[in-house]
Amino acid sequence: MSAATVSSSPKITEKMARESPAEQAQVLVKSRICNPNFIFSIFSNSPDSNYSKLKYIISSSLTEACNNSVLLLGPRGCGKVAILELVLEDLLEEYPDMISVEISRQLCQEHQLLFSKMASFDDNAQFMVSMLRECGLAHKTIIFVLDEFDLFAQGKQLFLYSLLDAMQSVTSQAVVIGISCRLDADQLLEKRVRSRFSHRKLLFLPPSREDTERLLEHILLLPTNSSFPHEYVTAFNVKLLKIFADYKFKEIVDTLSYSDSTVNHLQRFLFSTVSHMDLKSGLLSLENFKAALSTIQRQPKLEVLKDCSILELYILVCMKRLEAKEQELRNFNAIMKEYKSIHDTFQTSNYYARNVCLRAFEHLLQRELISFEDNRGHGQSAEFRPVKLLISRPELYQGLKSYPSCPTILHKLMDRDG
Amino acid sequence: MLSIAGSRSSPITDPKAEIGSATPQKRCLRSDSARIGKTRIPSTPLPVQTSPLKRKSPRICVNDSPNSPLKVIEKSFTNSSKSPVKKRLSDCFLDKPAWDPSDVEQLCAVKEALHVSTAPTALVCREDEQNKILLFCRECVELEKAGSLYVCGCPGTGKSLSMEKVKEDIVNWATEAGIQPPDTLSINCTTLTNASEIFSKIVGRTQTQSKAKGSKLPLQDLRYLYSQKQHLPGTRMVLIIADELDYLITKDRAVLHDLFMLTTMPFSRCILIGIANAIDLADRFLPKLQSLNCKPMVITFRAYSKDQIITILKQRLMALPYTVFQPQALELCARKVAAASGDMRKALSICRSAIEMLEAEVRDSFSKLNLPSVESDDHQRSASCGILPKPDNNIVRVDHVAIALSKAYRSPVVDTIQSLPQHQQIILCSAVKLFRGGKKDATVGELNKFYMDVCKSTLIPPVGIVEFSSMCRVLGDQGILKLGQSREDKLQRVALKIDEAVVSFALQEVRFFRSCLQ
Repeated sequence: MSAATVSSSPKITEKMARESPAEQAQVLVKSRICNPNFIFSIFSNSPDSNYSKLKYIISSSLTEACNNSVLLLGPRGCGKVAILELVLEDLLEEYPDMISVEISRQLCQEHQLLFSKMASFDDNAQFMVSMLRECGLAHKTIIFVLDEFDLFAQGKQLFLYSLLDAMQSVTSQAVVIGISCRLDADQLLEKRVRSRFSHRKLLFLPPSREDTERLLEHILLLPTNSSFPHEYVTAFNVKLLKIFADYKFKEIVDTLSYSDSTVNHLQRFLFSTVSHMDLKSGLLSLENFKAALSTIQRQPKLEVLKDCSILELYILVCMKRLEAKEQELRNFNAIMKEYKSIHDTFQTSNYYARNVCLRAFEHLLQRELISFEDNRGHGQSAEFRPVKLLISRPELYQGLKSYPSCPTILHKLMDRDG
Repeated sequence: MLSIAGSRSSPITDPKAEIGSATPQKRCLRSDSARIGKTRIPSTPLPVQTSPLKRKSPRICVNDSPNSPLKVIEKSFTNSSKSPVKKRLSDCFLDKPAWDPSDVEQLCAVKEALHVSTAPTALVCREDEQNKILLFCRECVELEKAGSLYVCGCPGTGKSLSMEKVKEDIVNWATEAGIQPPDTLSINCTTLTNASEIFSKIVGRTQTQSKAKGSKLPLQDLRYLYSQKQHLPGTRMVLIIADELDYLITKDRAVLHDLFMLTTMPFSRCILIGIANAIDLADRFLPKLQSLNCKPMVITFRAYSKDQIITILKQRLMALPYTVFQPQALELCARKVAAASGDMRKALSICRSAIEMLEAEVRDSFSKLNLPSVESDDHQRSASCGILPKPDNNIVRVDHVAIALSKAYRSPVVDTIQSLPQHQQIILCSAVKLFRGGKKDATVGELNKFYMDVCKSTLIPPVGIVEFSSMCRVLGDQGILKLGQSREDKLQRVALKIDEAVVSFALQEVRFFRSCLQ
């Protein structure tokens, strides 16, 4: 999700005047979803939150002019960078004489490049130390933000060592903030560097269920004191609150968070929901949420199965049975034998000739539902080379169930193996 | 004033014995202060503009009669506006009034006193080692002979700080004794782009004429220089302090060898002190030197013990005119840190965290007090402030230190596991079951089989292989699993990085996982 923020420039407001309230509402909610500052501002109120802890650490280092270091840990998409930016924005307002430096992963990789040339690492280190001293004399604090902190801890960690060592002297005033998704980022540090790095860690966790509900209300409910027509806003909010109370909606949110409960994931889900909004009625409905869920939790193999012909399904089921029988050599000939045996046992009506089956087999190869075991036998024809299935048993089962006109015999065959 | 400090040293110990809590550390501190009174001016700025020597005098028992210390005691009492001195002199730490955490100046002063970058005026608990090093240097300078010394110890044991002090001491001593003081050169070997750059730095420091012959390598220059008898009588010795010596270890170990061999040359003028963490650096990387019978002397800076940590902390806090910590709190901190690593930086950091806990508590209690008095006028509010909690509550207590310690030594793994989404927790469980039999690693495909079994037993529909491998990658990013490289997703090797016991502990609340991990 890109961080393209829709700012309230004059062009947008003009455009908004010409649109219907539904479209305006859609634009507003979409812009909220894309703005991480808005999303995480809800978490900044409680005194126990990471926002206040981080703010306290940085502001106390600023006011007391002492050096400090802190590590922000947590899975990706939990708002570490967003909350840090919120804190820095607020502090910049309070203390206008702050300098903030961002060292991102790209610079580290560039740094590695410099490393191999070794041309001027010494100069860089000297420059940094003298800059720190200058700024310390001028009573300005430098804040170093090291994103992807674990990448800095590769190799000899010279950069970290020289930075933290420079911070040990009284002349420099700096705060080092490391951001990492690895929980053991401080174990990666050498013992010298770890000794100089303070033990402060802030853990960013995905939101709990109550927090998720609060977040949903915060993002989706329209503000009552805005330029939208009052009845529209009330209708919108009432319907939304009814949806939130519905147990089916809770199921949807649960299914969503079973695999990934981070805020990023939720953002994508909500964006998709709002895009599905029916502009005529201008209200969100439960179907929008369901549609969004299905776009997020796509099963690509199942979609490919929907396009297959019945013969191709037969071939897949034969392959599965061969696998279940643990037959060593699984190639087209073996499949044909199995196919014939099924036909003999069950007297099915569709029994196709070999060359038709071969065509179907090649179709499956192209769609990558099966593939050759290895790349060696190019000389052999496709009939003799061993193949393997690229779709798992549960997926095949589910695909057959949702196939519109699947013959019952295939269900029986799959069930028997289960 | 200096002479008073000198004469105080003997009578001070007797009143201490009367008080009854005479700890050996106190005695060494005071004699130390007597010594520093002679040689140093304190370099760290203190908020109250008196030298640390005067700060120490309130500690002197009231039995002493001379006028000057008593005057100082009165002055310090008028400075502190809070509660009066405790009468219990049995614990001399509570001699001083408790501090007020809401006073910004006091807070700043305390935090600065406990900051890592504040170098104390005298390094306590390292006198032994410092004396040894000083003796060695004096001998070398006096006899004008070269020598090498290797200082080793864990990080945070005061090596670099001691070296700084030794540098100054040796120059002072040489100037006082009338000998030519040596040139000093401190290098941190991490700043060298090339290991052999150290020689060019040494050449730059020594006053040599061979700088004119620019074509030779600096090492050859030095070798040449030290193999000739000195024509100029007044050339000084060079004291080289090389910090983080292990950065000079190259594959063929040539640089380290050559560096130490420089001191063995017949007319060498350099005194080399190397600092590193490894105890056996000299044995492992300089075997030839032993055969030449010129192995460097090794001085080990051991990790701090509990008593040493307490001493150092008290010394830092002694300069302040008020009590900050409960003595049991300091002891708890020192005990835990000494048991873990003996790293002084960690102890200081934990003390600072504990102060922040206290600050937060005081802030909360203030806001609670102020809330009901919002409507009342100022007079009432000041009256409510008058019934503040007793001064005893304003010092850092054992529970603050305990919370700070648990934060420092706690790993965030348990919290993270508990907040993982459900499927990822199931993956973690299946990994625990898979690797239970002593197997070290497996492929993603095998893990997937276990995962599907677990899902079947709970009737939760398992996710497809694509989502499964992306969830494994998320767990790998966080450092819970270790993923290898492979072209195919299914053939990637996966290993569990967390202990099974940690996973069981974290997931014990959920009945399903508890039964699953049985």
